[in-house]
Amino acid sequence: MERGDVARGVGAFVLAVLVVVAGTAVVGSVTGPTTDRSTQPTAPAYDTGELLPTAVADDGSVGSPDASEAKTVVVDVSHGNAVEPAAIGPLVDALVRDGHEVHLFTGGSSASTGFSTTGTSELNATLRSADAFVVVSPATPYTDDEIRGIAAFADAGGRVLMLADPVGRSGSGTSLPVPIGLPTGSSTAAGQPTNLAAAFGISFGSGYLYDMTENANNFQGVFAEPSGGTLLTNGTDRVVLRDAAPLVTDGNATAVLASEDTALSSTRKAGDYTVAARAGNVTAVGDTTFLEPGVATTADNERFVTNVARFLVTGEKAEGVPAPAGPSTPPGGGPSIGPPTAPAPPTAPNGTGSPNGTAAPATPTPTSEG
Amino acid sequence: MRRSRGFLDRTAGLMVVLGVAGLVVGAGVAPFVWGAVGGPGGSVAVVEMHGTITSETAKAAVDDLREARQNESIRAVVLDIDSPGGSAAASEQLYLAVKRTGQELPVVAAVTGMAASGGYYMAAPADRIYVTPASAVGSVGVRGVVPPEGVPPGEIVTGPDKGTTATTAEVRRRVESLRQAFVGSVLAERNESLELTAEELSYAKVYSGAQGVELGLADSVGGLDTAIADAADAADLGSYEVVRMETPRPSALPGLGLRSNDTDPGRSAEATFDYRGVDTVQYLMLHGRLDTDRSTATREVIINGTR
Repeated sequence: MERGDVARGVGAFVLAVLVVVAGTAVVGSVTGPTTDRSTQPTAPAYDTGELLPTAVADDGSVGSPDASEAKTVVVDVSHGNAVEPAAIGPLVDALVRDGHEVHLFTGGSSASTGFSTTGTSELNATLRSADAFVVVSPATPYTDDEIRGIAAFADAGGRVLMLADPVGRSGSGTSLPVPIGLPTGSSTAAGQPTNLAAAFGISFGSGYLYDMTENANNFQGVFAEPSGGTLLTNGTDRVVLRDAAPLVTDGNATAVLASEDTALSSTRKAGDYTVAARAGNVTAVGDTTFLEPGVATTADNERFVTNVARFLVTGEKAEGVPAPAGPSTPPGGGPSIGPPTAPAPPTAPNGTGSPNGTAAPATPTPTSEG
Repeated sequence: MRRSRGFLDRTAGLMVVLGVAGLVVGAGVAPFVWGAVGGPGGSVAVVEMHGTITSETAKAAVDDLREARQNESIRAVVLDIDSPGGSAAASEQLYLAVKRTGQELPVVAAVTGMAASGGYYMAAPADRIYVTPASAVGSVGVRGVVPPEGVPPGEIVTGPDKGTTATTAEVRRRVESLRQAFVGSVLAERNESLELTAEELSYAKVYSGAQGVELGLADSVGGLDTAIADAADAADLGSYEVVRMETPRPSALPGLGLRSNDTDPGRSAEATFDYRGVDTVQYLMLHGRLDTDRSTATREVIINGTR
C-alpha cells in the first residue's frame, strides 16, 4: 500500500469524524436539551410582609380579688366534671394568693361513680361551710336535692359560678359531618350543667360560636365585649374566648359579656350572642378556656379572671345554709340499692325501665350516665 | 489500465464514505422531517395527581411539569386531579409549579374525582378547570396537627419548643397565615369568575362539581378528554398525541410491613405525612377528618379522666 493511500484513508476517517461531530453539534444546538427558561411566577398572596397575623396581646397578669375576709371556695368534681386543676389554675392561684381556701368536692368515696346514695347530703353539707361554689363542665346531671341545696345556697348569699364549653367541641376546619357511629370524643366527657343552670333561668346553648372575619387568629377564637358595667366586667374591654357556647337567659338574669356579629355553629346564624350572664349570686360563662394558663392573660382576659375571682369571694353568705335535708329523704337508705339518685327525666318513662312494676312513684328511673 | 482502475477504486471509496455520511445525516434529520410532515403537531402531557399529596407525589408532579416546559414537543398540559390534598408545603410547591408552567403553556385541569384542599390549590392556577357533576372541589383550608406538649420521659432537649416546634398560640398563628395565603391565592387565581368572598371561601366547604361551576371554583362540566381537547385547542394543535405522566405508586415500604396494617387508618395517616418515627407539627391542606393515633389517645385520656 502506498503512503499516499494511507494518508487519504486517514484523511477520509478524519473527515467522517468531523462530519459526524459537526453534524451532532449543529443538530444538538437546534434540538438539544433546553434549559427551563420559565420565570418565577408571581404569587400575589405570598407577600410575607402581609401574611404574618398579629398576635393577640398577651402582656397582662391575673390580679388579686382583694377581698376583705378569707372565704372558702368549693370546686365540684363529683359530677364527672371535665376540669383538671391546671386548666383553672389562674383562677385558683388568684384565690389562693389572696388568702382564700379552695376545696375540690369529690363527693366522698363513691359519689363520683354515681352509685352513692349519700352524695346529695354530702354536697349540701359541704356547701354549708362554703362561701362560693364552682361548677365546670359536669358530665352527669345534678339531682333535684342538689339543685335545691345550691339554690338555697345562692339565695343565702353564696356565690355560684357555672362554666361549660360547647358540647362536642370541634376544632377541625372541615364542613362535612362526622361519619355516623364515630364519636366526637370529648362530647361524651364534657357536659353542661343544663338542669342546674335552668333553675336559675340560664340555658347553655348547643354548638360553638365562631367569627370568620374578626377573630383571635382562629375562627373559634371570638371576642366578647361587656354588655354593661358590672363587677364582672370592670376594666374589661375585650375578652377572648377560644371555645364559647351561647347562653340564653330569662328576665331575671342579665347579660355580662356578649359576642357581637358572631355565628353559631349549630344554626350558622349570625348575631349577637350572650356568653356570660349573671342572675343575682349566680354567674354562668359559656366557656372554660379563658381560665387556661395560656389564654387567661391574652387580651383583657386577666381582668375578667380577676373579676370572676372577686365575684366568688365578695358574697355575704348566711350561716348554716343549705339546711340539712328534711324527712323527705329517710336515713338508712331505701329498699332499692344500686341506681344513682338521678333526677326524673323530663319525659315520661317508656315503660321498659320498671321491670317488676313495684317501684315506688318517687323512685327515679335509672339513667345511663355513670 | 492500472491508472484508471486506481481512479475507480478511489471514486468508489469516496462514494462509500459520502454514502455513509449521507445515511448518518439523513437518519438524524429524518425524525424532524417525519414530525414536520406526517407526525402529530405536538403532545399534550397529562400530569396525574392521584391520592394524597405527599412530598413524594408532589415531587414527581413538579418534575413532570418541568419536563413539560422543557420538552418542545409538549405543547400543552392537562392536570388529572383526584386528590383530597395533603401536606401544606407540598401543595404550595405544586401551586407554584403549575403557575410557572401556565406562563409557558396552556394548562387545563380536569377534576376526575376530587380536588379538595391541597388538590384544589394545585388546580387553581390552571387556565380552565373541568369538573363532572359528581366530582368535588373546594375545602380551601388548613389544619395543624400538634403533638402533645412537654418533654417525653427519657429525652433531654435543649429548649422548650425543641420537641413540639412551637406553642399552641404560635401554631395557631401559623395556620392562620397559611390560610390567608391559600385563600388569597384562590381569590387571585379565580378572581374573574369566583362568586365567593374570602369569608365564604374560608368555611372550607367542599362543593359538588355543578355547585363549583356555579360558584366559579370551576369553569365547566367536562371529562378528561374534553380537557385534553381544550388544551390542544389552546395550543393550536391540529393533530397531537397524549403523553401520560403518572403519579408514582406508593413506595414498596408499606407492602413490606414497614407501615402499620391497613386496619388502623390513624397509623397510616400518620405514616403518610409524618417523618417516619418523628412526631412533628404537621400542617396539612387535607380534606376529611383525621383519625390518628393521637386523637384516639387523646379521646381515651379524656374519657378515662372523667369517668
